[in-house]
Amino acid sequence: MARRRRRLASRVRGYVRGFLAFLFSNVGVVVLVIAYTIAGAFMFQAIEGASEMERVSNMTRERDNTAQYLWQNVTLTLNLFNETALKERISIELLHYQRKIVVAVRRGWDGGISSRQWSFSSAFLYSMTVITTIGYGHLSPRTSWGKIVTIFYALLGMPLFLLYLSNVGDLLANWFKCIYALVCMCRGCPGFTRRRVVHFRSQLELSDVESIERPVGWRPEYSESEITPEPIPYVPQHPRPDPRRDYFRSISLPQPSRNPRPDPIRGWSEPLPRPGSVSSDFTYVTFDVQTITVPISACVAFMVGYLIFGSMLFGMWEKWDKLDGAYFCFISLSSIGFGDFVPGERVYTPRIETSFIVCSLYLMLGMALVAMCFNLMQEQVLHYYACLKRVIKRICRCKR
Amino acid sequence: MDRQNIHSSVHSSFRSRDSTSSTRSDPREKIKDCLRKFIAFMFTQVGVGALVVCYAILGAAGFMHIEKDSPDEQLENVKQWRQSCVEQLWNITNRYNVLNQTQWMYNSNHVLKIFQNNISNAIHQGYTGRTPEDIWSFPAALMYSLSVFTMIGYGNVVPKTAWGKVSTIAYACFGIPIYILYFCNMGKVLAQSFKWLYITAHECSRREDVLIEDGEMQPIKRKVTVPSTACLWVISFYILSGTIMFGAWEKWNYLDSTYFCVISLCKIGFGDFVPGANIADSAEGSHLKLVINFIYVLLGMGLVAMCYNLMCEDVQVKVRELREELKNCLDDITLKITVCMNDTKYYHQRQTRNVK
Repeated sequence: MARRRRRLASRVRGYVRGFLAFLFSNVGVVVLVIAYTIAGAFMFQAIEGASEMERVSNMTRERDNTAQYLWQNVTLTLNLFNETALKERISIELLHYQRKIVVAVRRGWDGGISSRQWSFSSAFLYSMTVITTIGYGHLSPRTSWGKIVTIFYALLGMPLFLLYLSNVGDLLANWFKCIYALVCMCRGCPGFTRRRVVHFRSQLELSDVESIERPVGWRPEYSESEITPEPIPYVPQHPRPDPRRDYFRSISLPQPSRNPRPDPIRGWSEPLPRPGSVSSDFTYVTFDVQTITVPISACVAFMVGYLIFGSMLFGMWEKWDKLDGAYFCFISLSSIGFGDFVPGERVYTPRIETSFIVCSLYLMLGMALVAMCFNLMQEQVLHYYACLKRVIKRICRCKR
Repeated sequence: MDRQNIHSSVHSSFRSRDSTSSTRSDPREKIKDCLRKFIAFMFTQVGVGALVVCYAILGAAGFMHIEKDSPDEQLENVKQWRQSCVEQLWNITNRYNVLNQTQWMYNSNHVLKIFQNNISNAIHQGYTGRTPEDIWSFPAALMYSLSVFTMIGYGNVVPKTAWGKVSTIAYACFGIPIYILYFCNMGKVLAQSFKWLYITAHECSRREDVLIEDGEMQPIKRKVTVPSTACLWVISFYILSGTIMFGAWEKWNYLDSTYFCVISLCKIGFGDFVPGANIADSAEGSHLKLVINFIYVLLGMGLVAMCYNLMCEDVQVKVRELREELKNCLDDITLKITVCMNDTKYYHQRQTRNVK
């Protein structure tokens, strides 16, 4: 009895643990973000949709009032006989009316073109602009409850979205690295070209590497740790086999056969053949994905490509010209979000729904891609920094 | 990375200052020293803050220059629409005269509706009822450049010309890294100073307690982390002060100004409430407000960064504690379960023995 209960308890615990792990995995975070956005969309629709009808009727009443005023105060008093005076009065009245319209549109009246501003898709886009901190502002809450809910929704949603960004950004960075290694450098994913590398590596003379890495003159004055701030797998002092350290880290070397001088900073380093363990060393030779660094130019080119793709997509969809589309994409992806261009805003066609969906998909993916590029660029910059530091150190050492 | 850079440069500047103060007075060395000092200063908080402000001012001047003399078709269009509307109304009056009210009302309502639709379309395309000279005053341009590089993006002022758009993109490309540098730097410095303040306050209060309890007790030295509630208090106090300030100036009610502060500090920036952007306002009175809003937002971003830093630390500590507690709890439970199981085992064994 007790044993069965314990089994049940452990099973439940396992389920819960699995569920939590799933929630924090990539798929779970994406699902969570989308579910949160959809929930927000329903909530805002319910809160804001009611007050919208009121505004439309308000505006109709305003127009009636203006016509009435024009009739009673202007036409009846000035009559027909004084054309210029009448026109002047009407012009002044119309200016007032125009001001009223501008204010009303600012307050969220959409001009009566589409009767329902807070449709599901636009509410979805709204809640997305809140949690991504884009904030277009083409839709904004008018009721006080809407404002309060927006504040709390943002406070809860932004950490969630940050979680999404970091998770998906990491994942995409790994993929991008892999693809970069596969395509641009004619290498393979980990394990694929292991054999070739082993073959190549056996051709290299190890003593050459050794002499480059550690010139003889440095030895007496400086300790090992000072020469090599990065963990370099050259470990004759540690006979303990450490497979992680012996990874063959040559991914970022562009043309190894033409350039037999290995770059020690980029992580090219040779595990020295230890007495008796040479063959076991070779089995560990593999690519470590973490050591690939993608150059900044590739990231920038990728982002520019994504921007141009977006500008073409939205240009086709919304009839914007190329500059406007690129401007919209940039402003959105950098989370500035002016809101002067919003998809589905200007053209009131039945395609609005899909346009909203496409826009939100583009934004979600784009933000993750920006995060990915930040990851990669940060890595690269850190790498350059370490490079520079080491070079400066060496130069200083040479001088003095 | 930044920190190392700063530290190294600061150290080097100190070192060099010492060396110059001793005996060496080589002009080359002096120049080098000056340069080093300058770089070290640029990486301090003051330098970064000055850099951000300078960048914003530069951007404001540039955008003002680009956007100020942009031809505004919308303004002309609206004027034309109004003229034609007046003409139509005159025609209606001419035709129906004073005698047929209902017909007159009906027709003029129709004309008004067309006018209204035209105007609302124009507003959706960016008509604000003000001329470019009015919109792109210097404080407004300052606010615009702030909203670009802090990624707030209010959107109450937007570039209309193609050059404005292109330069906005370029400006953001260079401005956002500078801003992030400011954000990190300011956050770190504010976090350190706040932590120091908190720790001194904490120590003061604790020492008194210790003294009351027993005189000779040594206060245990342990790492003090600022609790996240303190950070939340600071932020909410800042928001409250902003609420009261903007509420008094702009005649917004408190909910609206709280909403504005939160939306600004979260970098969402809808732009439905922007201080000094009211259409009915005269242009002159709003300039000071815009400048103060600039300072408020920039300072608030630093505070947010500070709270982010402190809360990260606090959460890490809390998570570690929680994990340890959970481990203890789990150990306890497993112990209990094993004891229980053993008991039941004994019970079963005894039962079977009894049956036998």
